Amino acid sequence: MEDFTCPRCKTSKFQNPSLKMMVNVCGHGLCESCVDLLFLKGSGSCPECRIPLRRNNFRVQLFEDPSVEKEVDIRKRVLRDYNKKEDDFNSLAEYNDYLEEVETIVYNLSNNIDIVNTNKRIEQYKRDNRDQIMKSKGKLGREEYELEELLEFEKQQQELRKQEILIQESESKKKKIREKEALIDELMFSSDNAKNIVETFVQQVKEAKEEEAKVVPTKKTQFSSGIQFGRQSQTSFLPVPVEDGPLYSYKPLTVQTDGPKLPTDEDVLTRGYTNHVRTENEQERAGGFKSNIACMRALQDAFSGLYHTRKTVH
Amino acid sequence: MFSTSTQSKSWMFNNEDDLNKLRESANLKHIQTYGRHINEAARYDYFLTAEEEKIMVKRYEIRLRDFCKRFQPPMTRCVIGTAFHYFKRFYIHNSVMNHHPKEIMVTCIYLACKVEEFNVSIQQFVGNLKGDREKATDIILNNELLLMEQLNFHLSIHNPFRPVEGLLIDIKTRCTLNDPERLRPGTEHFLERAFLTDVVLLYSPSQVALAAVLHAASKLQENLDSYVTDTLFGVEGRGKLEELIEAVRAIRSMVKMVDATPDRNQQKLLDKKLEKCRNPENNPDSEIYKKRMQALLDEDDDLYHTISSTSDSLNTSALNMSVCASPEVT
Repeated sequence: MEDFTCPRCKTSKFQNPSLKMMVNVCGHGLCESCVDLLFLKGSGSCPECRIPLRRNNFRVQLFEDPSVEKEVDIRKRVLRDYNKKEDDFNSLAEYNDYLEEVETIVYNLSNNIDIVNTNKRIEQYKRDNRDQIMKSKGKLGREEYELEELLEFEKQQQELRKQEILIQESESKKKKIREKEALIDELMFSSDNAKNIVETFVQQVKEAKEEEAKVVPTKKTQFSSGIQFGRQSQTSFLPVPVEDGPLYSYKPLTVQTDGPKLPTDEDVLTRGYTNHVRTENEQERAGGFKSNIACMRALQDAFSGLYHTRKTVH
Repeated sequence: MFSTSTQSKSWMFNNEDDLNKLRESANLKHIQTYGRHINEAARYDYFLTAEEEKIMVKRYEIRLRDFCKRFQPPMTRCVIGTAFHYFKRFYIHNSVMNHHPKEIMVTCIYLACKVEEFNVSIQQFVGNLKGDREKATDIILNNELLLMEQLNFHLSIHNPFRPVEGLLIDIKTRCTLNDPERLRPGTEHFLERAFLTDVVLLYSPSQVALAAVLHAASKLQENLDSYVTDTLFGVEGRGKLEELIEAVRAIRSMVKMVDATPDRNQQKLLDKKLEKCRNPENNPDSEIYKKRMQALLDEDDDLYHTISSTSDSLNTSALNMSVCASPEVT
């Protein structure tokens, strides 16, 4: 936006920091002072394309590219007539076709393609759908209406919350004063020890505070925009495809020793096998090697292959 | 676990005849490849017979054992056992005339050291050898891959030593034998002799171990039969007992037959014969071998040259580029 210059007076943002670019339906920009000058009578023609324009159609240029502004204008105009909603169609495909038609018209008009025919098409459409256009205009779009409602509701809620906080604050102030007065009364008229009275009061105040803290603020069930918590989970991932087939069942590993049955790990420890092997030293124990492992290995090697029968190779 | 090992799957044989047949076929294959120019009748005057080859292998097995015993630092028994296995396996499918047992023997021991995690460097290893150590280093390292290939890369070996320990633990725990440690010297002696036979190729290590323990017990006039039949095999192993008894008997008789003192005259004759008929391609003293090695070396050199020259050209091109890219100083 910095290097904008008015095409007519060549004023740039640098020369005049308060320069305001205006744009009209044709999409050609002009600075504010030029607009004032040229459209003194309320109407005139664009200095670039000579299209007759009205002064009150000028507005501040929002987008860098003035052609975008033009497109926005055209879209607004076209949509005023092409105001059908999805509900007005039988199928989604029809609605899509309709949207595509609208887009084509907007594109044609904003890029100066076949303007005469396109305008004719719009006229034709207007004539064909006059009743429907009028009806839809009255409706003003249900969605917009709902949105407004929501905003209104939110505003009310905010107001309520503010009031609540105010009330709470004043209440707690009053309470404090009351407590103080009660304490002073007690001290004045009671015959008890002053120290005791103060202590019991301190206790009471503490308890009251704890109770207050216990009151949990009411849980919110919706966002400020009115959307329920947890709604999002409905639009989660696709379910993981489950493969059909027989379930895996665990079969414990069996060791074919080709020899007599080995003593179990427990047997090695309880039946005194380990009495006949060297006990592990500290380093070996640190590594997890206990003497029963070595013992088991020796036994396994001794038993494995005892049933070996000579068989032909290959 | 022996029952699932490659040893059980590929290196256990049915009986001695099968082994001898394999050795004969290796012998025949070698003669057919290298002895076509000699007529049938004179063939065995020049080449070794399968039987002679077997004698050679047996003799080098003894040398292998003696070498391992003298080795410094002292080897564990597992290294010796594994080396024996490798050596035996190699000469089942290979002829002595193709690869000299002297060379294969040291290679087997060197490989066994590695596999059994007995850590010696090649310098340390050849330090235990007599003669030209540099040549020995070359021979060992050149043959190492060949050996592994001939072993089908089945390098893990189940030796009967741990099964002996297991049996002794079991005997101490479940048998009332008085001081089972007495069995140890007899067992070790038996196993040492067993490695000079083919039993490790025919019976499982635990069977060999059991035979050794039983043999040691009988030497001490002890009887472990009831332990084997009742305690070890128990009720469920009853059907298998017969097979085992047969195996133990066979192992013991085979080990008894070991003749550890070979005929010296016959040895000398065989050595001379082998020196003549061995395959010169694999003899490190022959011209052919030297030429072959030189050719291999040259090939490597050529390869090296081409690689280095290409990398040189790359270097210069890189230099040129950097010259072009550097700003001109004028």
